[in-house]
Amino acid sequence: MNFADLIFSSGSSFSEKAAKVFNYQKDKNPVYQRFCNALGVTGATSPDAMPLLPIQAFKETTIITNPDEEQGSKESSLIFKSSGTSGMRRSCHYVPDPELYKQSILKGMRHFYELDDFVIWAYAPTYSENPNSSLIWMLNTLIDNDASGQSKFLALDTPLDKKELTAIQQSDKRMMLFGAAFGLLDLLEQQKTSLPDDSLLMETGGMKTHRREMSRQDLHRQLAEGFGLSKASIHSEYGMTELLSQAYSLGDEWFHTVPWMQVSIRNPDNPMEQMPPGEEGLIGIIDLANIHSCSFLLTGDKGIRREDGAFQVLGRWNPQDLRGCNFLIERD
Amino acid sequence: MNSKITDHINKVEQAARNWLQPDNYALKEAIDQTINEGLFSFEDIKHQLLVLKENIESGQITAWAQRAGLSDTDNAVGKTILCLHAGNLPLVGFQTALGVILSGADYTGKLSRKDPYLLKTFLTELNQVGLDNSINYSTDLNDCEGLEADEVVFAGSSASVAVVKKEINRLGAASDEARYLIRTAKFSMAYVDNQDALTMKDLTEAIFRYGGKGCRSVAVVVSPYSLDSIKCEFTDYVESFWLKNPQHQEPGPALAYQFAYNKAIERSQAWLDHFLIQESTDLPDQDFLVNWVQGDEDTVRELKAKFGDVVQSIYTTGQQVEGIETTPLSQAQRPPLWWQPDGVGVLKELLCSYS
Repeated sequence: MNFADLIFSSGSSFSEKAAKVFNYQKDKNPVYQRFCNALGVTGATSPDAMPLLPIQAFKETTIITNPDEEQGSKESSLIFKSSGTSGMRRSCHYVPDPELYKQSILKGMRHFYELDDFVIWAYAPTYSENPNSSLIWMLNTLIDNDASGQSKFLALDTPLDKKELTAIQQSDKRMMLFGAAFGLLDLLEQQKTSLPDDSLLMETGGMKTHRREMSRQDLHRQLAEGFGLSKASIHSEYGMTELLSQAYSLGDEWFHTVPWMQVSIRNPDNPMEQMPPGEEGLIGIIDLANIHSCSFLLTGDKGIRREDGAFQVLGRWNPQDLRGCNFLIERD
Repeated sequence: MNSKITDHINKVEQAARNWLQPDNYALKEAIDQTINEGLFSFEDIKHQLLVLKENIESGQITAWAQRAGLSDTDNAVGKTILCLHAGNLPLVGFQTALGVILSGADYTGKLSRKDPYLLKTFLTELNQVGLDNSINYSTDLNDCEGLEADEVVFAGSSASVAVVKKEINRLGAASDEARYLIRTAKFSMAYVDNQDALTMKDLTEAIFRYGGKGCRSVAVVVSPYSLDSIKCEFTDYVESFWLKNPQHQEPGPALAYQFAYNKAIERSQAWLDHFLIQESTDLPDQDFLVNWVQGDEDTVRELKAKFGDVVQSIYTTGQQVEGIETTPLSQAQRPPLWWQPDGVGVLKELLCSYS
């Protein structure tokens, strides 16, 4: 099976491709197979009927489809690990085919942006301390892709170089400043710098740190003011260690997926059931680029979805809400 | 204690005794209504009432007042307390209501729609013994409009606090300076280091009474024994318990999903029809789910530190766990009247605030 063709081709519908990946992983992925068997799901043709494996499985076990075959390609494999303090369990995502991830990153960006028009500057403090960060690998891929040589990782704790900014402005390139939310705010604290008007700022989440916690709306307002951009120029990326595809928001709060990824909002009381558009639930993701791990995942994030498939991320689902005594105004 | 407060305590005790009389038809009717509407099981209501009866007949109302230091000078007379009762258990608000009324404060209760009948009959009984403090209640928070209470007691999560406060402010149900006593504990833990029959019975009751709901119910068990080594024997005790106390509510599909997840990651677990026990050090995040952790006293301390304020009590079969306050496992569902939700006794708290 040519996986890249299966995932990225436009020749068949998402449902058809998802059904092929579902059958492949149910057959060849021992973890997903046990999961489906325990739920009594023997087959599914619609993405809605495909069980979504809780994403914490990446912390508990090794998730590889066709593990016997993938052993052979182990040397070229990547292992992505989520960040975490000592003693904390970290997600491990084994990626036996880095080229596929690279394609997903570049095709995904090109789906939304004229990627070759951009110079990428990346600022991701703390992530850079994690040698297994999938975000850093993604940023490296984007930087390496720019033939102009102007793309780069920014030095930590150093204000933006205005001469370099002017040089980009005078070239035919646009700036895309890519960074973790708190990192971008740190940059502003060092020095407020107006970016060229046609720049884009891409934040990758991380609103809650030991120093501050804020809503995505507040963050975008601060970033727009600080970098002298309109709010429409502040975009977001939604990705995680366990996914090899990303979703992007393009100047508002709604995220859009790439064609080989689909988001649904699942009922926390019954994750096999979808919530109607506009109602909160757990964000479920089918990411076909996860062909070698598991494509059918239930996150711990809370979200809502529109009819057209765009979705919002409303923070982490609070597991404490699910149990025990709770006086609630509407439904005590 | 001087005579005025003694008179007040005696009246409260008399009301409690009257309420528990076998010929209290109002209570009988409330029990029937509660069962008929499927709110709680007869067995759980019976258990709760028997525990309260034992406590009251052994003089615990007076003992509680003495322990808290209630007196003519140390009391909450003249204060208005608003209690927002959650309804996971039959009579879960009983202790709070009793403590507030015992303090001498005026009590207004927002009764849970999940448990509107039982507590109401007790409050009616209190209104008939001529107490000086006023007792009001409703199942509609709107009826508390303009109350301007001095203190609000409610059970909730940290996430619900802002919503509840906003609604109370909108209604003027509490004064701007009102204090909030918020109950955030969700579950209890047990450290079980033996497999004696009595311990297994106590553990079964601690986990499965009230369908596992309520903050006194055990949702995390720490034991030197693995789940696999103990589950067959333990299942026998559980089945025996359910024969006498049929499970009132059924778990939803999320529990089967958790079972499938455990299968996927090959985690040890025991499916008990209405409950799932799994080997996990995670926060138990669903009803009908119990996490079993093979470990020792250090494990108990680590988990207590990890889970924080959501843990109500840590039960043992008698031994002390250094650095942690423990409670006998046998008292899990038979607490004395003065037990402290979230480590804060309502009566003592009110006396400290307003004396």
